[in-house]
Parts: sequence; C-alpha cells; structure tokens
Amino acid sequence: MIATQATAAALTATGLSVRLARKVIVEDASLSLRAGEFTVLLGPNGAGKTTLLRALAGVLPADGHIEIGGRPLQTLSLRERARRIAYLPQGHVTHWPMDVASVVALGRHPHADAFAPPTADDRAAVDAALTATGLEPLAARSVTSLSGGERARVALARALATRASILLADEPTMSLDPRHQLVVMELLVQVARRGTAVLAVLHDLALAARFADRVLMMDCGRLVADGSPREVLTPDKIATVFGVEAAITETGVGAIPILRRPI
Amino acid sequence: MWRASTNRSGLIVALSALLVVLAILSLMIGPAGLSPREALAGLIDGEGTAGIIVRSIRLPRTLLALLIGATLGLSGAALQGLLRNPLAEPALFGAPQAAAAGASFVIAYGLAGATSFAVPAAGILGALVSIGGLVAIAGRRASLTVTLLAGLAFASFAGAATALILNLAPSPYAALEIAFWLLGSLEDRSMEHVWIALPFFAACWVLLFLNLPAYRALTLGEDAAASLGVDIDRTRLMVVIGVALGVGAAVAVAGAIGFIGLVAPHLVRRAVGSDPARVCVPAMLTGAALLTAADIAVRLIPTNPNATAVELKVGVVTALIGVPFFLLMIFSERRYGDGASS
Repeated sequence: MIATQATAAALTATGLSVRLARKVIVEDASLSLRAGEFTVLLGPNGAGKTTLLRALAGVLPADGHIEIGGRPLQTLSLRERARRIAYLPQGHVTHWPMDVASVVALGRHPHADAFAPPTADDRAAVDAALTATGLEPLAARSVTSLSGGERARVALARALATRASILLADEPTMSLDPRHQLVVMELLVQVARRGTAVLAVLHDLALAARFADRVLMMDCGRLVADGSPREVLTPDKIATVFGVEAAITETGVGAIPILRRPI
Repeated sequence: MWRASTNRSGLIVALSALLVVLAILSLMIGPAGLSPREALAGLIDGEGTAGIIVRSIRLPRTLLALLIGATLGLSGAALQGLLRNPLAEPALFGAPQAAAAGASFVIAYGLAGATSFAVPAAGILGALVSIGGLVAIAGRRASLTVTLLAGLAFASFAGAATALILNLAPSPYAALEIAFWLLGSLEDRSMEHVWIALPFFAACWVLLFLNLPAYRALTLGEDAAASLGVDIDRTRLMVVIGVALGVGAAVAVAGAIGFIGLVAPHLVRRAVGSDPARVCVPAMLTGAALLTAADIAVRLIPTNPNATAVELKVGVVTALIGVPFFLLMIFSERRYGDGASS
C-alpha cells in the first residue's frame, strides 16, 4: 500500500501508534512524505488525524519509528527537528496582540540564537514568507485586528518562515470563506512545488480531489487508503469511511466527488 | 522582532534614571529628618548618627525595595508569558500567602531566627507548592476562570494555615509580630536581610531570563511552541522554580507584597507592545520603581501618632492600588471577549 521511495522520502513513519489516556488514538500508521509532493490527510471527526500530525511533528510521544531525511527523529535535538518540520496547529491562535511581522518571525525561532538580533537570513526568510502570502501591506498591523482569512495566512507565513523541508498543516482552511480556502490551497501547492513535503489535514473532499497530489485516508485511528485522489476518492471508500453517498464528476479541474446524502 | 526598538531602549533608559532618582529620594527621606547634605555625607563616610541611619537603616530598605520590586515585576511578566495571560500574578496564585504560611511556621515555632536562611527556604517551599499547583492546573487548557478560582483556593488555604499557626503559636508576642510582618513592610530591615535574599533573587532572575525566547514562542500556543523547538516541560519547571525562589525570598524578608507583578507588565505593554519577551526587562524596572515609590509614600503619609505602628505597611498600599487595578483589567477583558483566557 505504501509506495516506499526511501531515497526521495523527506519523512517516513513506520508502525506509528499513539495512546492518549490509555486509549489508542492512532494505530500502526505507516506513511512517507516526499519532497515536492502535496499530500492531503482526510478522515471523519475523531479518526485521529490531529493526533497523527502531532506525532509526526514530534510534539506528542508515539510508539513506532519516524525518520526525517534518513535520520531517526529521536536522534535530532529539539532545534534540529524544529528546523526540519514546520507544524501549523489547528485554529491559528495568537495569544498576544503582536504585529504580523513579529508573529511571522517566530518561525525563525529554531534557527536564531533567540537572544541575538536577527540575521540577514532571518530577515530574508520572513520577507519571503510575507511576500508569498501577500501580507507585506499588513506587516505592521496587529494580528488581533485581522480577519480570519488574513490570520490563516499569517499562520501559514509563520510556518513558511522556518524554511523547513516538511510542512504539516492541521486544517489550514478551517472557518475560511471559499475564496480564502482557494488562496490557502494554492499557497500550499506552491510551497510543495518549491520542494517542500507538504501534508495537510482537510475536511473538504472536493478541495482534496482538486489540489492534492496524493491522498491519505484515515478511519478509527488507522490509515485505510494511500494513493492518488482518483484512486482514493471513490464512491466505495467515501461510503465506508465517511458514511456518505457520493458521485464522482469529471470536471475541468479533476474528478470531484459530489456528496449526495448521509448513509 | 526587529522593528525599531528605540521606543523600548528609550523606556529602559528613562526607567533606569527614574530608579536612580527614587533610590536617592529613598535614602533622603525618613523620620530622622536628616538634611539631604547630612544624608549624603552619612552614606559616603558612614560616620556618626547620620552614617548609621543612612547606611544601616535606609540603605537596606532602599535596596530591598529595588530588588523585591524588580523580582515581583519580572515574576509577573514571566508567569504571564508562560500562561499567555495578562492576569497571571503570583499574589493571585496564593504564592505570597503560601510563602507566608511556610515562613510563619518557621518563625512561630522558633525554628530559626528571623535572619536565618531557614525563613526564605520555608517561604520558597510554600511558594513552590502554590505556583507549581497552579501551573499544573492552568497547564494545558484550563480557562482563566478555573485558574483564578484555583488561585483563590490556594490563597484561602494558605491564609487558613497561617491563622492556624498564629493560633497555636507558643508566644502571643510572636503571633502579633507575624501578623504585622504578613502585611508586608520594608521597615527596619538590615543589610543581613539583603544578603540572605540576594542569592535567591539572582537565581530567580537567571531562571526567568533564560526562558525569554520560550515566552515569545508560546504566543502561538504550547503545541506550536513545542514544534518550534521549545522544551515546554523544562520551561514550565524553570519558571515555576524561578518565581517561587523570587516570591518566597521576598516574602521571607518583607512579608506579603502583592500586585506589583500584575501592574508592572501591564503598564509596560502600553509602551513596548505585547511581545512577552520584550516586556520582561521594562517590567522588572517598573516593578522596582513602583515598590520604591510605594515605600517612599508610606514614609510620607501621616498616620495616627498615638498608635504604636507608626508607618503604613507597604503591602497594604500595593494591595489598595493593585486590587482595583486588577478589577479594572477583568472588566476590560470581559468587554473584549474571552480571547486571552483559553
């Protein structure tokens, strides 16, 4: 089921299991993320997507084996890991009303000697992230004064500023209007095209079908499908995993599942 | 992170200048009624009555006000950074009360003289229990309400424990002394108090400053901060121990002085913005200025000349100003929604 191309794999996880409060949330998950590829993780609520992402990001202890660029995750220091994996949690919280440029600069935390002033590299990375997300005009604004769509872009820019080889994004399109969903999806595709391995959790099957290079499907803590959108997003699988009757419609932008009714 | 920091440097210079002025005033003012010239001469040569008054009464008092104020201001800013909450403050977490309970136990039972290391040690232990408990409760996702209620519970429990110790104290005279000391005062402290507390304050400052970058990363929440390479558990432990060392030692030498840690960072944020790492140094200086000013004020405010306790207690002054300030902050938090509370 898993296409192993060890040489090109930016991240490989084998037999990953996570228990929270003695309950198995993720069971025996194996996957690999490749540089330049935009992978989408789909699954119903409670399937374990967020937990899997947190385990891959290394912020949650897990059983099993994770390799980053050929090195076991646990042999990396916290800073080394943070330089390689950028993780975007759900919800885009910013607890203090800081300005956009300062929030984006937090993405440089793993690189900088945090007590020293930022280097030219830091500045360049932050400027590039602001440009890529179209945030330069808002750089001096306080994040608390921004709209939901703008905040989502700030969160993404912060993750981009790290210039990690792997980007893990948990529902980056959550509570965004259709236009901003598309903006974020196009950004993620661009990031992948520049050579980053991108994994994003989504709830919108149509967006996944349209933008993903590869789709992972999760159900009850297990990875149940891994392949191209056409292979994975079939009426059968959508029925078993999501409990929804779906029809696949060929469109100019791909084979898009249309959801009909809950089963 | 790299926007012009002229504002902040300017503020730091201005606050440092203010501290120098306040320290000089603090050395000049007192019931002995020395002229500024006599006080200055006393400070420099240490001779005669003026020398004794300035060097062994006013100097320790001034130094303690500066050190304790700085420690409390920094502790507040660090706790707020750790918990991402502008209302975090050691006094609201029952830390001074718990430290006071620990210290009074040691004093009431005559386990140690008032200037022995056992008093700050007991105070630090008390503060460690309350702050550690609170941070464990507030840890991942507890709301502001839960945190404050738990703080109230800790404070009440520590207050009851102190009352119990006073009730059972072998000597009623010791009980009275403890009761006054609990109100928080810098009166009649000696250089010995300074030397006892100083190492704890220094350790507190080092622990809290080492985590400046972590406070900043925590702006994005614990998961994002962890993914940026912050060791959350270590940060939490260092801040809890740092604040406990600072508050415990402060209470041991000066009694319960609250709300500096709430007011100082808040005042500073208006000038330097909300970045929790940039707040710390100015908050520390502001805390020192606030407490020194309050301690000068208690010497100038006339009290009933017939009473035996001649001076107002500085802890009373900080609470009288701090509590309404806190209520005002809650009021504005409510108005702007619950954004910072979860």
